[in-house]
Amino acid sequence: MSADTPQQTSRSEASPPVLRAEGIVTGYGDHEVIHDVDIQSHEGITCLFGPNGSGKSTLLKTLNGIVPIWEGTITYGDVDLSNATPDEIVREGIATVPQGGGVFGTLTVEENLRVGGFTVSEQDAYRRRREEVLDAFPALEDKLGDRASSLSGGQQMMVSLGRAMMTGADTFLLDEPSAGLSPALVEDAFELVERLVDRGARVILIEQNVTAALRLADHVNILVAGELAFDGSPAELSDEEELMEVYLGL
Amino acid sequence: MGTENDLTVRDRFQALLGRDDAHLWLFGIGAVVLAVLPFALSTFWTRIALGALMWIGLAQSWNMIGGYAGYLDFGHGAYFGVGAFVTGIVMVELELPFVAGLLIAGVFCAVLAYVVGVPTLRLSGAYFAIATWAFAEAIKELALILEITGGTYGMTFPTGPGTSGIPLVGWPDEMFFYYLMMVLTLGTIALAYFLFEHSEFGFRVKAIRDHEDAAQSLGIDATKIKRRVYVISCVIAALFGGANAYYITFIHPNDVLAPIITDQMIIMALLGGLGTIGGPIIGGVLIFLLNRLSSLFLGNTTIYLPLIGLLIMVTVLFAPSGVIGILRGEVGREDVKQNLRELAEKFDIL
Repeated sequence: MSADTPQQTSRSEASPPVLRAEGIVTGYGDHEVIHDVDIQSHEGITCLFGPNGSGKSTLLKTLNGIVPIWEGTITYGDVDLSNATPDEIVREGIATVPQGGGVFGTLTVEENLRVGGFTVSEQDAYRRRREEVLDAFPALEDKLGDRASSLSGGQQMMVSLGRAMMTGADTFLLDEPSAGLSPALVEDAFELVERLVDRGARVILIEQNVTAALRLADHVNILVAGELAFDGSPAELSDEEELMEVYLGL
Repeated sequence: MGTENDLTVRDRFQALLGRDDAHLWLFGIGAVVLAVLPFALSTFWTRIALGALMWIGLAQSWNMIGGYAGYLDFGHGAYFGVGAFVTGIVMVELELPFVAGLLIAGVFCAVLAYVVGVPTLRLSGAYFAIATWAFAEAIKELALILEITGGTYGMTFPTGPGTSGIPLVGWPDEMFFYYLMMVLTLGTIALAYFLFEHSEFGFRVKAIRDHEDAAQSLGIDATKIKRRVYVISCVIAALFGGANAYYITFIHPNDVLAPIITDQMIIMALLGGLGTIGGPIIGGVLIFLLNRLSSLFLGNTTIYLPLIGLLIMVTVLFAPSGVIGILRGEVGREDVKQNLRELAEKFDIL
């Protein structure tokens, strides 16, 4: 999303804290996948692009605590999250939507939202968040009693985003929200992501559909073989012809 | 619009289960019926009811980890056997009563399940199934060579008045064991109901089953939750193992640690309906009766194993959500016909 898009004017004035990862080194077993990477959540949507196997999902999993970091620091505002568990990270206000949305198919839409709201101990806060979700995604109102697996791809994405909203998060880590959706639904999925940003959230977005995602991006990172190859605005990226052609296929 | 009289059995079943208090009423009525049942039955049929109760409880215990958590545990029967042997060892070697043996067996299996669960629950799918199957085989081989278990000679339990450790119970008779199994089974069903159908914990378990990564990213500690389910389900199997061993008074590794114990739990839960409270109850009764009746009328259980195999195939192919799924209307007559047509075409039968 460029700076002059109309959506930005409607964004919340109180901006969420910055999620900042510095000098991140991590991997699986003895295999190092991410090599000394710095990344942060910028205002609006920060897109993370890169070829398959470049470590995008792994980096996202370090930010939400599922993959522990070997070196480096992760902070959220003033809070150190370097060694935090996924549970602690969610409670700080960072929620993840995994690839394809990851709805709990055998649960109803209402139950999916309820699972998202487990970190909320007060009933009033829970009800407020549920209202916010239904306000953001009104189409879910009539589907609350339906099994999530019976919904269309676009509706399932609403459930996933709504469920993440129920945690009370103001920073969202989205791993390819358009994965598995038909071309007609891809634009709908991005529109749903924009609704989060309109409500004041910061989003780090992994996406293979680079052309469509670039239209939303406020900031772009490109990861190549576990190293950061680009960190700048979409306008600056357009000057990097080699990066655009070799790694993004544009 | 159909009238009240036009309602099918399925409609009535769905309407009944749709009521908020239906499950509690069903449980209460079931408990009362079970409590008075032995007074209306002969000793032979009381034994059949006792066996059915035990298998309902065992299938329900497997359903916790296999149905609700979605982890195909092919080694669950090992805890039934270990529970039997630990109860026996406490009674024979330490000369403690049955109740003490059963409690110690429960605690022992809780620790064992925790230790086994740490590495195996990191695996999923076929890898978890193979790891737990290998664990069960290892336990059986160990029981066959250990002196304390009686090795290949097996173990005989102390019998007679005073061995139960329960005041007012003299010589443990059929009625004692019937009510023991009834309490264990009803307790297991109530625990499963409140734990998996009416608590935050149950939603967490189902969320992990449906999408573990998504559950973790919402702050659910999947490792801890899975381990808890595994430990609870294994302890229940151990308690049934200990109770059954005291009832039959003689145990052998080839019997109480046989793979068929786990197989039966799985097919009972599968046939009735995985991840449901009613599934293991229906499946437990049907399969146990099939076992007993094939033995009663055919003189042996040879036909039982092929029948079990056939049932697994039919269930997986035509009614993957089990009898409960059919009653709930998830699998209709047309679905079954369609599956049959596709199968016939595949094998060029038509």
